[in-house]
Amino acid sequence: MEHEHIVKKFDKNLEKIKATIVEMGGLVGLQVNDATAVLSSYDKAEVDRITAYDRIINGLNKDIHDRAEILIVRRQPMALDLRQTLAPINISGELERIGDHAKSTAKRAHIIHNAPPEDATLDMIGQMSTKVQAMLADVIIAYANADIDLAAKIRAQDKDVDMLYKQVVKTVIETLTKTPDKAESLIHITLIARNFERIGDHVCNVARYVHQIVTGEDLKASADPSELRLDK
Amino acid sequence: MIDLTKKAGLNLNSRHRAEQRFRWAGRSAIAISLMFLTLMVGSIAITASGSLRQTQIAVQVDLSADNVDPSDPASASYGRLIKSGLRSMFPDVTSRRAKKALYNLVSPEGSFEAARMVAENPDLLGGTQTLWLTASDDLDLYLRGKIDITLPEKQRQISEAEVVWIDSLQAADQLRRVANWNFLTNGDSREPEIAGILSALVGSLYSLAVCFALSFPIGIGAAIYLEEFAPANRLSDLIEVNINNLAAVPSIVFGLLGLSIFLGYMGLPRSSPLVGGMVLALMTLPTIIIAARAALRSVPPSFKEAALALGASPVQAVFHHVFPVAMPGMLTGAIIGMAQALGETAPLLMIGMVAFIVDIPDSILEPATALPVQIFLWADSPERAFTEKTAAAIIVLLIFLISMNLIAILLRRKLETRF
Amino acid sequence: MIDPIITARGVDIFYDTNQAIHNVDLDILPNKVTAFIGPSGCGKSTFLRAINRMNDLIPTCRVTGDMKIAGQDIYAPAVDVVALRAQVGMVFQKPNPFPKSIFENVAYGLKIHKITDSKTEMQDRVEWSLRSAGLWAEVADRLDQPGNSLSGGQQQRLCIARAIAVKPKVILMDEPCSALDPIATAVVEELIDNLRKDYTIVIVTHSMQQAARVSQRTAFFHLGTLVEFGDTKTIFTTPEDERTQNYITGRIG
Repeated sequence: MEHEHIVKKFDKNLEKIKATIVEMGGLVGLQVNDATAVLSSYDKAEVDRITAYDRIINGLNKDIHDRAEILIVRRQPMALDLRQTLAPINISGELERIGDHAKSTAKRAHIIHNAPPEDATLDMIGQMSTKVQAMLADVIIAYANADIDLAAKIRAQDKDVDMLYKQVVKTVIETLTKTPDKAESLIHITLIARNFERIGDHVCNVARYVHQIVTGEDLKASADPSELRLDK
Repeated sequence: MIDLTKKAGLNLNSRHRAEQRFRWAGRSAIAISLMFLTLMVGSIAITASGSLRQTQIAVQVDLSADNVDPSDPASASYGRLIKSGLRSMFPDVTSRRAKKALYNLVSPEGSFEAARMVAENPDLLGGTQTLWLTASDDLDLYLRGKIDITLPEKQRQISEAEVVWIDSLQAADQLRRVANWNFLTNGDSREPEIAGILSALVGSLYSLAVCFALSFPIGIGAAIYLEEFAPANRLSDLIEVNINNLAAVPSIVFGLLGLSIFLGYMGLPRSSPLVGGMVLALMTLPTIIIAARAALRSVPPSFKEAALALGASPVQAVFHHVFPVAMPGMLTGAIIGMAQALGETAPLLMIGMVAFIVDIPDSILEPATALPVQIFLWADSPERAFTEKTAAAIIVLLIFLISMNLIAILLRRKLETRF
Repeated sequence: MIDPIITARGVDIFYDTNQAIHNVDLDILPNKVTAFIGPSGCGKSTFLRAINRMNDLIPTCRVTGDMKIAGQDIYAPAVDVVALRAQVGMVFQKPNPFPKSIFENVAYGLKIHKITDSKTEMQDRVEWSLRSAGLWAEVADRLDQPGNSLSGGQQQRLCIARAIAVKPKVILMDEPCSALDPIATAVVEELIDNLRKDYTIVIVTHSMQQAARVSQRTAFFHLGTLVEFGDTKTIFTTPEDERTQNYITGRIG
C-alpha cells in the first residue's frame, strides 16, 4: 500500500474511514473500562452516563457505513481498495456490539452492588476485562498498521479469555449449590462474564477482518482448520 | 458586477473596427470583380449581338425552263441567273465596274443558296421567283450604320453608287433582317456573312471527347494505383513530384510533343480531333491525377479498414468503398481539366488545327479546328464583320464552359453520398 | 481441459526499431470473452490487431513469434490473409458503417465471399445477423435507409451484425463502447454476453469496470509486456502482481 492513488481524495476518504474506526475502537475500549470499574464501585450517575454514551458509538457506526457507501458509489473500488472499504463496515459492527456488551455490563452493576459476589469471581472478571481491553487496543493497532502477525497473536490470546470464562461458570455453579439465595446476582455475574467472553470473540472477528483486508483470505471460511491457529 | 455592454478595457472597439474593415474589404473585392466581369462579358455580348441577325436581299431570279432544266436543277448556273436578276432590278447599271459593284450586293454564297432552295422546293421552277438571298457583309454593315459615310469614298468599303442602290432597295422593302442561324449551322468561310462556328464546335466536341475518353480512365486509374496500391518508396515520391511539375508545364510543349511523336513518328492525320484530343489528354492528365488523388485522400480510412477487416481483398475494398465516395471529387477535377482543355489554343496550333476548315468533320480522323483556334483566326481577319463573329464565338465558348461547369455541379450533387 | 482457440508464444511486435510488444504468451479460450486492459500505449490494441493481421496495413510493422489460430500459424506464407479475416472479424472503436443502406452493409461480407447462393438466402442471413445483434426490431422496416442514419449505438450494433454475418470463429473488438453513451454501452455489453455462446470474443477496453462485467478472462498489458493473465474475478479482487493492483486501483507507479 505504498503507492498513493492518482486521485488524492480517494486516499483521504480511505484514511478518514480508518481514523473513524480507530476513534471508535478507542471509545469502545473506554466504555469497557468504565463498565468494569462501575462493577466494583457502583455509581448510578456513571451507569447512566455509560448507557447514554453508547449512542455516540452507534453514531460512529452509522458514519462509517455512510462513508463506505459513498466510496463505493464514487470510486467503484477494486481489489485492495474494495477490501479496505467493505471490511470497516463489518469491523464497526463488531465494535458496536462490543459497546453493547459494555452497556449491558454497566446496567447489571446495581444488582452486583446489592449482592456482591466472591472476590475470586470478581477478580476473574477483572482479569477478563483487562485481557479483552488489551486485545482490543492491539487489534486497533493491528488494523491501523495492517499488521497480520499482531492480528494472529490476538486471536491466540482469546483462548485465555475463554478459559477464564469457563472458570467463572464453574465457580458460579459451585457457589449456586452452596448458597442458592444468591441466585439472582450469580446469574447476572454469569451474564457479565459472558459479555466479556463475547467481547473477546468480537475482537477476534476484527482480527480476522484485518487479515482479510491484507490477504483477501477469509479465515472463518477456510477449508483447512489448521490455518485457524496462526501462532507460527 | 459583470457589465456586458462595457466596451472599454477589452479592446473591443478596435477589434470590432478591424472586423468591419475586413468585411468591407471582402465586399468591395467582390463588387469590383463583379463589375469587371460585367464589363468584360457585357462588352463582348454587345459586340456579338451584331451577328445575331443577318440581312437578306430580295432578288428576282428567272427560274423558267430556259434557264433551269427541270430534270436537273442543280446543273443551272445560278450565279448567272442572280446577276441577271440584279441587272433587271437596276437596269441603268451599265459599266463593267458598276456591274461588278452591283453583283457585290449579294453574298458569293447566294448562288449556292439559290440552288439549295430550288432543290428543297421544286415548285419554285417555271417562272420568275423572288428569292431572299444573303446580302454581302458590307451591305449589312452599312445598314446597321457601322460604315462611316462621311469619309471620302476611297477610304471606305462601299461606294456612293452602292449607297444609292442600298437606300433604294430599303425604301422598296427589298431588304430584311432575319435571325442568323447560319452562324450555328455553317462552317468557316472567307465571307463573314455566312461564316459559322459549326465546324469549330464539332471539332472541339470531338477533341474533347477523345481527350475525356483517354484522360479520365487513365488519370483515375493512375490516381487510384498511386494512392492506394503503390508502395511508399522513393520511386513513388519521384512520380508524384513529376506529376505535379507536369501540371505546370506550358501547354505548347505538349503541342510540340504531339507534333513530333503523333504526327511525325506515328503518322497520324494532321489536324485531326484524334491527335488534338490526344495532345489535350496529355495536358489534362496531371490535373486529373492530382485532383483524383486529393479526392481519394479525403475519404476517411475507416471504410477501407472495415472492408478489409471483413475479408475484402485490397482491390475490392478500394473499388467498392473508397472509389464511390471519392467519385464526386474526381469528377469535379475531371470537369475542371476538361474546361481547361476546351480553352487551349497553343498545343492545337502546333499540331496543325489552325487550318481553314470549311466542312464539318465527320469523324475524328478528318481535319478539324477548335473553338479557341477559330476565335484566334477570326480575330486576325481584316474584315470588319469578323469582329462581331469573333465576339459571338467567344460567347459560345463561354456558354459551353458554363454548361460544363453546371453539369459538374449537378453530377456532384447527385453522386454525393452523405456520410 | 479445453483447447485454446488462439495461442500466442513469444510474440514480439516492432514498429521499425521500436518494440511495442515483448515476448507475449497467451491462450484465448473458445466461447469465452477475454479482455485486454492496460494504460494507453501499452500495446493491447497492437496485439489485438496482430490476431487478424490488420497490422499488415502498416508498412513499418513487423510481427515475430508464434501466433496460431485453431492450430495454424497465421503468419505462415501459405496463409491467405483474406481467408483469415473472413474467420476473424473485427469491430472498431468508432462505428464505421459503409455509406450504403443497412441491408447492403450487412450483406457486403456475404457478397464478397459469395457465401450465400440465392437472394432469399442472403435476405435470411441478413435478418439473422440483425436479430443476433439485437437490431432487427429497430430497423426491419427501413433496411434501405443509409447505415449512418442510425444513432451511434445502433451503428455499432450494425457493425457487429456486419461482422457476424459471415459467421466468423472469433470476433475482435477494439474499444467498441468508448464512443457510446451509457445506455448504448449497456445494450452492447448485453449483446456481447449473448454472442458468447456462439463466438469467441476478444475485447480491448479502457474501462476496468467493463472488463470486469463482460469478460471471463482478463489480460493486463503494461509497456508492451503481458503482466498478468487470469480469471477476471481474481484479477480484479486479488491480483498477484503489484503492477496489476496499482493499475486497477488507480494508483501511480
